[in-house]
Amino acid sequence: MSLSTAEALTDALREEARRLLAEGTVAVVVGWEAGRFPNQTTPAFISDPEQAQRLVYGDYCVNTLAKYALGEKAAGKVAVCVRGCDSRGINRMIADNQLLRDEVYLLGLPCSGMKDPATGSLLMKCRTCTEHDAVTYDVLLGPATAAGHDGASADSSAGDSEHVSDEQRFTAVLGIEEMAPEKRRALFDAAFNKCIRCYACRKSCPCCTCRECFVDQLRAGWQGKQNNLAENRFYNITRVFHIGDRCIECGECERACPMGLPLMALNRKMVKDLKSLFNADDAGMTEENSAALGRYDLGDLEEFM
Amino acid sequence: MPVNEAPTASAATAATAATAATAFEPTILAFCCHWCTYSGADLAGLNRMSYPANVRVLRVPCSGRVNPQFVLTALNKGCDGVLVCGCHPGDCHYVSGNYFARRRLMAFKRLLEFTGLEPERFQVRWISGSEAGKFRDTVIEVCDQIRALGPYRSGVSDDVSLNG
Ligand code: SF4
Ligand code: SF4
Repeated sequence: MSLSTAEALTDALREEARRLLAEGTVAVVVGWEAGRFPNQTTPAFISDPEQAQRLVYGDYCVNTLAKYALGEKAAGKVAVCVRGCDSRGINRMIADNQLLRDEVYLLGLPCSGMKDPATGSLLMKCRTCTEHDAVTYDVLLGPATAAGHDGASADSSAGDSEHVSDEQRFTAVLGIEEMAPEKRRALFDAAFNKCIRCYACRKSCPCCTCRECFVDQLRAGWQGKQNNLAENRFYNITRVFHIGDRCIECGECERACPMGLPLMALNRKMVKDLKSLFNADDAGMTEENSAALGRYDLGDLEEFM
Repeated sequence: MPVNEAPTASAATAATAATAATAFEPTILAFCCHWCTYSGADLAGLNRMSYPANVRVLRVPCSGRVNPQFVLTALNKGCDGVLVCGCHPGDCHYVSGNYFARRRLMAFKRLLEFTGLEPERFQVRWISGSEAGKFRDTVIEVCDQIRALGPYRSGVSDDVSLNG
């Protein structure tokens, strides 16, 4: 987005946040503030109206904020800045009974894709994003971007990132599917071998909201504490399977992963299969829970006869 | 544990691999639903049908009980293949358990294969209480397939070629 757009949106955001806090409509506003390095931002939690000017919005707001709303809701109503990914995360948490819609106040923001502070190029997760603008909000702080989901205004020349087709979205998955099985095994063994099981992928995921994750159920003993290929594979495959039919494709897990695992290729493998096999909806577009593995159809494809 | 018997890839010459393959007997875990496949297996026994002893039958109340994590755990604990068997769709004792299992395991099978698991190592089959012959044939078929594939290497041991 242009500098003037970013400045105008930042001003509108600060003003709205200040008003909501001063009026007592919300207890806390979740947004972004400047980090320690140039072009770096960090999630901000503002509860004092005087502090609202700390908020910023621009090309480097890389964190998807949805998950942060959960941790703040004990304080009262939470205002959350939402773009496409954040809003779908909020919808997902409502569908999963983690949040009520009126526990949050959604500040809709247009988005033309965020940039990697290290390189200045469009973030990987934004290149394959299908919904740039908030799919749900209480107030919209700026006009929809051209690349948004609103088909009428779609104009591929206007935004920094263009509308993403299914083919683009599933490029990585298709590429891996075409490999020979041994190559796929080698690729994922190498990836799982790198995993340090920091669980940042789980922490950042708006679908991973279990009070007690299977990896922490020591007595059940699902997850061994050893860091070896077998345990790492067990963790990674289980994680994907637990969230695969609810994944909103915000790409936060992959962005958060310090070891560079291809987590979105795994997630999107499930998204793609569930879509083609069971006509699954894209997750988080509404507050309804329509997760494909939580239901069935008598006419489902039969391949186990 | 069979998994420890796997030769390390670096050391394996064609000759030792061939000997290992002929001597190899797979361990296969079969999750069988109490109401259908377990009875089918029982009937196979009553009819004195013979099938490979490589299969270990584990009775579950329903194919819907089979948590995909069971499959991963079985492979990590030394099984070379996993078979999940339940009632035919429409026949589930709990009405819908196998319909959920069907979706879940279809997606799970694809995910495992995506990460490079040979399709034969994880299979699902509907076998009713009267299909003793189908149970026997399925076990023979799966056993032959996995014997041909050789041992499954999960990387649980200190197999340096995997854990490197
Ligand atoms: S964030 Fe990466 S390294 Fe950490 S547990 Fe997840 S996959 Fe493993
Ligand atoms: S990995 Fe699975 S068990 Fe753990 S928090 Fe995520 S969904 Fe829950």
